[in-house]
Amino acid sequence: MGLLNHSGSGFARLRRAGWLCALAIAGNAHGGDWELALDVRAISSDGQTSFLDNGQGKTRFDADHEGIQLGRLRAAWTQPFGEVLSAHVEASRWDDDDKNPVDLTEAYLEYRPYPRAGWRSRVRLGAFYPPMSLENRARGWETPYTITPSAISSWVGEELRTIGLEGQFDWLGTRQGHRFDFQLTGAIFGWNDPAGTMLAKHGFALHDRQTTLFGRVGATQTIPGAPKKELFHEMDGRPGYYVGAQARYLDRAVLNILHYDNRADPTVRSAELRDMAWKTRFDAVALRIETGSKWTVLLQTIDGDTVINPFRALVWEFDSQSAMLAKRWGAHMLAARYDSFNIEFDNDPNKNGSEDGDAWTFAWSYDQGEHWHFALEWLQVASDVPARVVELGEPAFARESKIEFSARYTLSGHY
Amino acid sequence: MARTTGKSRLISLRAALAALAAVLAAQTQAASLVVTVLKRDGQPLPGAVVTAEPENGQPTPIPPIRAIMDQVNLAFVPDVLVIPVHSTVQFPNSDAVSHQVYSFSSARRFQLPLYRGKPYPPVQFDQPGVVTLGCNIHDNMLAYIVVTAAPFFGRADDRGSWTAADLPEGRYRVRVWHPLLSEPAELLQVVEVGAERGAAQIRLSKALRPAPLGNRPHSWDY
Repeated sequence: MGLLNHSGSGFARLRRAGWLCALAIAGNAHGGDWELALDVRAISSDGQTSFLDNGQGKTRFDADHEGIQLGRLRAAWTQPFGEVLSAHVEASRWDDDDKNPVDLTEAYLEYRPYPRAGWRSRVRLGAFYPPMSLENRARGWETPYTITPSAISSWVGEELRTIGLEGQFDWLGTRQGHRFDFQLTGAIFGWNDPAGTMLAKHGFALHDRQTTLFGRVGATQTIPGAPKKELFHEMDGRPGYYVGAQARYLDRAVLNILHYDNRADPTVRSAELRDMAWKTRFDAVALRIETGSKWTVLLQTIDGDTVINPFRALVWEFDSQSAMLAKRWGAHMLAARYDSFNIEFDNDPNKNGSEDGDAWTFAWSYDQGEHWHFALEWLQVASDVPARVVELGEPAFARESKIEFSARYTLSGHY
Repeated sequence: MARTTGKSRLISLRAALAALAAVLAAQTQAASLVVTVLKRDGQPLPGAVVTAEPENGQPTPIPPIRAIMDQVNLAFVPDVLVIPVHSTVQFPNSDAVSHQVYSFSSARRFQLPLYRGKPYPPVQFDQPGVVTLGCNIHDNMLAYIVVTAAPFFGRADDRGSWTAADLPEGRYRVRVWHPLLSEPAELLQVVEVGAERGAAQIRLSKALRPAPLGNRPHSWDY
């Protein structure tokens, strides 16, 4: 009876659950993995004041940020709990005017049971990227092909994060003698209602800086009352969703499609964030083909809109396409990419908020052993941005180019 | 001294003749079977799994073996393992990272969390068939265990050739399997193994599937 009373009380139950959890974790004390990476850059850039400093420049490192710069300081940790459950945390420092010196880009629990009869399910809970980039396939959600990812992936890293629950369902055909695997993905998420605000503010950009979960996009706004540029907040209590599908041909080709809608209520305004909830929807398709002779072709496209409704519906329609060709020779890789991007605000391509641009990127990269990675990249963005005229009194058209060298040292281990 | 030498020569000659007779006798009683596997274009198919079993009568059961399927550098080693039915396979993990080996093939379903430095008991394979292995953590890892009840089996060499020695005369069912086969039907040929030798050439009717790419940097698709 006494036992029943004890176990019945909320606190005792909580304490017992805590102990059970601790025991379960200790009983399955499988070691975890950690990784530390320091990426230092040497920059030569003629870029306009970067969007990170509230300018209309399209690159991360502008003409005022030449020379030696910190590319990224990154720490990652994976801890399995038992066989099929694990936690993954990614922390980074980008060395700019962000809120926190070190912050998280991703943190989630993954449940990954063994496949049964050709089917496998997978569940992620926490903060992570939606599964749409076939480009950013390296650790830390980086692209292995170039230093700077495509305009599409740059935007995803800047404004999107799934903070919620995602389920994946795989049919593993290649494990059953077939040539194809198929995957369905679905997620519900919150805390991403401002997504779209940066697209409207400065348009697409080409950069490898991922916005951190508790940080913001670069420096604070200088204009009083301007939005805080913090993206991971819930404003309207309405969850968003995405659904996606993937088909894989052996290990040679992957086709990924995703429909995304953050279902924000565009009439909601947050005084604290000094920003509206941005209703952002898009469809994204990506195709990656790899050949036996180590060529890679990567095609990506995105098409969507973002809407706020302060007094009437204001619509920014956006789209971007990207085509990349890469070739590996041993530890060396060469990549060439073309990006094009377009935003039309209020059905007027000449209005402040619209833009039109394209970019070329050429990169060489080299893996020396398991610790060192070197890359050299030349990038040129040409863009027609009416905001440059309205806000800066400068010509709308700008051609910005940048040469960037990256030396990255990675240490990893397990315990 | 000379007599002794002559006698010992005679003994040597007799011994040599006896040995020769024994060899000849052995050759006539047990034959050999040579199977050559060719791709559709006539080029040899190295690594093809070849099995041979007598067409009539129960094949004599062959003793099970203890084999090893290792994991090295995020790959299974070997990529294909052929074992007699009832054999056991040990799965050591030579990598620094954990693997979770599984099979959902009907011939043998199992899962094995190969955490670092933790030995697991071997897995026994009691049913003939092809067992496809995967890793639940590293999706690109793929290997096969071919469990066979045939008394003669092996893998074709670089010239696409496999030889079985010491077969009794008779008719044999010869089967060929390869992970990249895209044949619509089983590759089966009945071969007459005569007093000395039997030979078969099996040529694929369809092109092979593309081989797995492998050798991507380990930091990809983590």
